[in-house]
Amino acid sequence: MEARNELKFVSPSFFSRLKSMLGVDFYRLFHTPLFYIFLIIAAFIPALILGTTAMDNPDGTMAQPLYSNAWNAIAANTPLYTFSDIGEYANMNMVFIFGGIMVSIFIGHDYKSGYVKQLFTTHAKKQDYMISKSITCAFAMSCMCITYLLGSVAGGLFAGSDFSVNVGSLIIAIVSKMIMSLGWASLYTFLNVIFRKYFGVSIASSFLFGTGLPIIAIGMIFGNAAGSFLNIFLYGSSVYACLSSNIVTLIICLIVSALWTAIYNVLGTKLLSKSDVY
Amino acid sequence: MNAIEIRGLTKNFGSKQAVNGLEMTVPMGAIYGFIGENGSGKSTTEKIICGLLVPSGGRVKLFDRNYTDTDVRAKVGVLIEAPGCFSNYSVYNNLMLQAANLNIENPEKEVVKVLKMVRMEGAASNKYKNCSLGMKQRIGIAMALLGNPSLLVLDEPINGLDADGMRIMREVLMEITKTGKCTVVIASHILGELEKIATHYGIIRGGRMIKEMTAEELNASCRTYVALQTRDMNRSKMLLGSKYSRVEEDEAGYLRVYDATTPEGIVTYLYENGILVGEIKTDKIGLEEYYIDLMHEKEGR
Repeated sequence: MEARNELKFVSPSFFSRLKSMLGVDFYRLFHTPLFYIFLIIAAFIPALILGTTAMDNPDGTMAQPLYSNAWNAIAANTPLYTFSDIGEYANMNMVFIFGGIMVSIFIGHDYKSGYVKQLFTTHAKKQDYMISKSITCAFAMSCMCITYLLGSVAGGLFAGSDFSVNVGSLIIAIVSKMIMSLGWASLYTFLNVIFRKYFGVSIASSFLFGTGLPIIAIGMIFGNAAGSFLNIFLYGSSVYACLSSNIVTLIICLIVSALWTAIYNVLGTKLLSKSDVY
Repeated sequence: MNAIEIRGLTKNFGSKQAVNGLEMTVPMGAIYGFIGENGSGKSTTEKIICGLLVPSGGRVKLFDRNYTDTDVRAKVGVLIEAPGCFSNYSVYNNLMLQAANLNIENPEKEVVKVLKMVRMEGAASNKYKNCSLGMKQRIGIAMALLGNPSLLVLDEPINGLDADGMRIMREVLMEITKTGKCTVVIASHILGELEKIATHYGIIRGGRMIKEMTAEELNASCRTYVALQTRDMNRSKMLLGSKYSRVEEDEAGYLRVYDATTPEGIVTYLYENGILVGEIKTDKIGLEEYYIDLMHEKEGR
């Protein structure tokens, strides 16, 4: 009976719980080949676009490069919420599409393998899961932004593209997009929590939101004039981080990303707390 | 203090009621055999205890605390359906992952310890997907044991285990409960095996607890019977059936007389009717038969 009285429960602090959850997620991230595959894809895509579109046509005529400036592979010169050619659309924002797919597969494995049983049995606070997944996946997407940058530089050098740019604006644009990763990661985590029992639907929904099509559609209806309104959305702010960015861009991205991260984390936590998780 | 106390638990899936006003009490340090037919609500109840399903109604307490309290939850180990491992990771990596999840200090040592407990230390580097079903069940137990849980919730943990695996499982469960610090709830259809370790039983039917008892109570309520074999079993059955109220032939080919007080009376009675008894013994019905009888009783058969 004495032994029974020794039973003690230690209430883990928020940071201790988050640390353990992050430990699991980062361990899994670094032990998942998928992460490295997406890093390579993120580097390969801009290099391929810059390299191949600068090559001569098969009939020997000079090709019209997709980008006049290598840094357009990172972002457009001005915020373009709609686009007239693929070059205006295909930039570092594509990382958020790759990221969406990666996050879906990453989180999907939690459910497919049944590992969530272990997680949610020992972790009563569902916010830990939302926060940890958002941080881990934001880190993964930020890494993809870096490899995308490296791929763009390599592709630009190979194609002999023009590299002239306002360095400050370029850095702000890249950093802003990396900041936006947190908002995007939270969105994808939320979508995957909603569709946790339907792996295919979660990938499809992440892909749809990642392409920015809902925002592009609004932009097409209202034109670029709707820009400041569209900036309150993740895709809008991601587009706003362009080669003419300034400190305001950075602040807007920071606010929008933090706001949506908080919204999606609260919604995801509520959903997980109020519904069956497995 | 009880490890688990459930009052009026209900769980609906749409219009289907999986658990219907369940009452359950599991004392601390018990090995609680949770028995019921398929679809009776065992797994649903276990998932609610583990916080994986949200109950539609009722109250669940673990160690006199709300079952959703973070510190209580951190001391629950689980093996429901499958271990929940990543197939491409090694056994060791899967356990390390769970150790990280539990924020265990010195995880390597702890992982080696639980692997030794389930006699899996030689298979630590094997990829999980290459393990046999029996090995996977043992890995699941090892995973549930990480972090010295105070409550272990197991669903069909001995499925797929060979005789040796079952013995190991038995030893592990008895070892961890002997100090009284760990309580085990174990749902299983292999009643013969459960009978060897369980200290308490709960029998569930249609989402309701129809019987809770200790192993001693089960033992006391299991009727004794006289089992015998003769050369003329049909005539023996007819004769004994006219004298005793319940005479049945069992799977092993013995005639069972349930309300006989002594074997001597049966031997004499049959001898007087020209039948010699080849073999006779007294025995008790086991958990399996008790359970089947109880189910028949509830069905009104």
